[in-house]
Amino acid sequence: MLSRLALRAAPGVLRNLSPSLSAGALCAARSFHGGQPCLAPLPPLPERGGAVRHGFIPEEFFQFLYPKTGVTGPYMLGTGLTLYLVSKEIYVFNNETVSAVVFLSLVIYAVKRFGPDVAAFAEKINEEKLAKVSTIKNDSIKALETAIQQEKKEQERVAVRSYIFDAKRNNVAMLLEINYRERMLMVYNEVKKRLDYQVAMQHLKRRKEQDHMIGWVERNVVQSITPQQHKESIAKCILDLKALSKAAQATV
Amino acid sequence: MTLTTNLNLFDQFLVPKLLGMSLLIPAMLLTTVLIYNPQDRWLSNPLTTLQSWLIAKATKQIMTPVNKPGHKWSLMLISLLTMLILNNLLGLLPYTFTPTTQLSMNMALALPLWLATVLIGLRNNPTSSLAHLLPEGTPTPLIPILILIETISLLIRPIALAVRLTANLTAGHLLMHLISTAALSLMTTSTLLAGLTLIILTLLMLLEIAVAMIQAYVFTLLLSLYLQENV
Repeated sequence: MLSRLALRAAPGVLRNLSPSLSAGALCAARSFHGGQPCLAPLPPLPERGGAVRHGFIPEEFFQFLYPKTGVTGPYMLGTGLTLYLVSKEIYVFNNETVSAVVFLSLVIYAVKRFGPDVAAFAEKINEEKLAKVSTIKNDSIKALETAIQQEKKEQERVAVRSYIFDAKRNNVAMLLEINYRERMLMVYNEVKKRLDYQVAMQHLKRRKEQDHMIGWVERNVVQSITPQQHKESIAKCILDLKALSKAAQATV
Repeated sequence: MTLTTNLNLFDQFLVPKLLGMSLLIPAMLLTTVLIYNPQDRWLSNPLTTLQSWLIAKATKQIMTPVNKPGHKWSLMLISLLTMLILNNLLGLLPYTFTPTTQLSMNMALALPLWLATVLIGLRNNPTSSLAHLLPEGTPTPLIPILILIETISLLIRPIALAVRLTANLTAGHLLMHLISTAALSLMTTSTLLAGLTLIILTLLMLLEIAVAMIQAYVFTLLLSLYLQENV
């Protein structure tokens, strides 16, 4: 633990060296087995852990022995070593061996049976975290895209703004025209009424004059008929009637 | 491997020595090697993710009933739980030494923690902690006797905690030792009986794995219960 404290404190101390020394010292000061080589931004995590054969032997061991002993080398080593230890009774079979065999079989069964599920669960936890943050990112992207489209629509609307004014102007002009024509019609009707009145007055006056004249003429004519003329006209009418009756009798 | 011969059944519980130095402290600290440090990353590898998830679940499970001032104890209790679970489970491997089979270690864990809860309770709200000595609804003639009984039960708690853990694990290990010895010696005489004994040993192993985890959880849970009463 104290060494860990020292390792944590090392970068701070090393940074205070002169610039020519501190860069190299920072890169050189690293913890054993596993610290980054440099205090630079962390490298990305590898997707999968180190390749492993039979659950606990790293693949690099097999690659290490391959040039000299080929593919079966490590297995020969393992078998030979085990047989040597057992036969020379360096490793004695005792009760712990039995217990070890049983325990290891239980462990291997559990790993084979539940391993993939547990791995999938661990991946799911990480993926849920990623999905949560991705949803936020995607939602904000979508919102921004919608905003862009609406902005474009608004820009188009602004571009056709002049047409609206023209249409409105036309409407107003039409209304004014209609109004003007209505009023013209009204004026025409009123004037016509007045002129009709004058015409009717004239007709009435003329008829009255005519009637009056006809009456005067009839009165004078009736006054001027003497009794002698009256008898002569009646005798003529009787003669005409007789002639006519004769003519009518003839045709019948 | 067998560098020592077992003269009696309890020799498996002796603290291992290397060149005359006791290996007790490295044995206790072995579990720290297996715990990943939280990394400076947002998404970590699956093992670290699983470990963080398990610890978060255990913390929620144990610390939810405790009220807010008691959450100061969460680091202590959860690290205790993790250490006990790992120690117990690692002890099931062959040829490993389980520190939690030693009564000394369990007393060293149980007594100070229990005493801390009692002292906190007596210091902060003494009436409430003393009131726990008398359950509600007792008939009046029984009160003096009941207070005595409750005091004794309070004082026996650390011993109970320690002995429970020690006894469970020691008994389990002993049984495994015995049955595997029986299986080994039966293999030469009657293979069928050895097979049956191996089946019993398998079931006992499963039980031991469960007991290892349960005992660690019970230890921590009881401490959190004592904390709930007193904090």
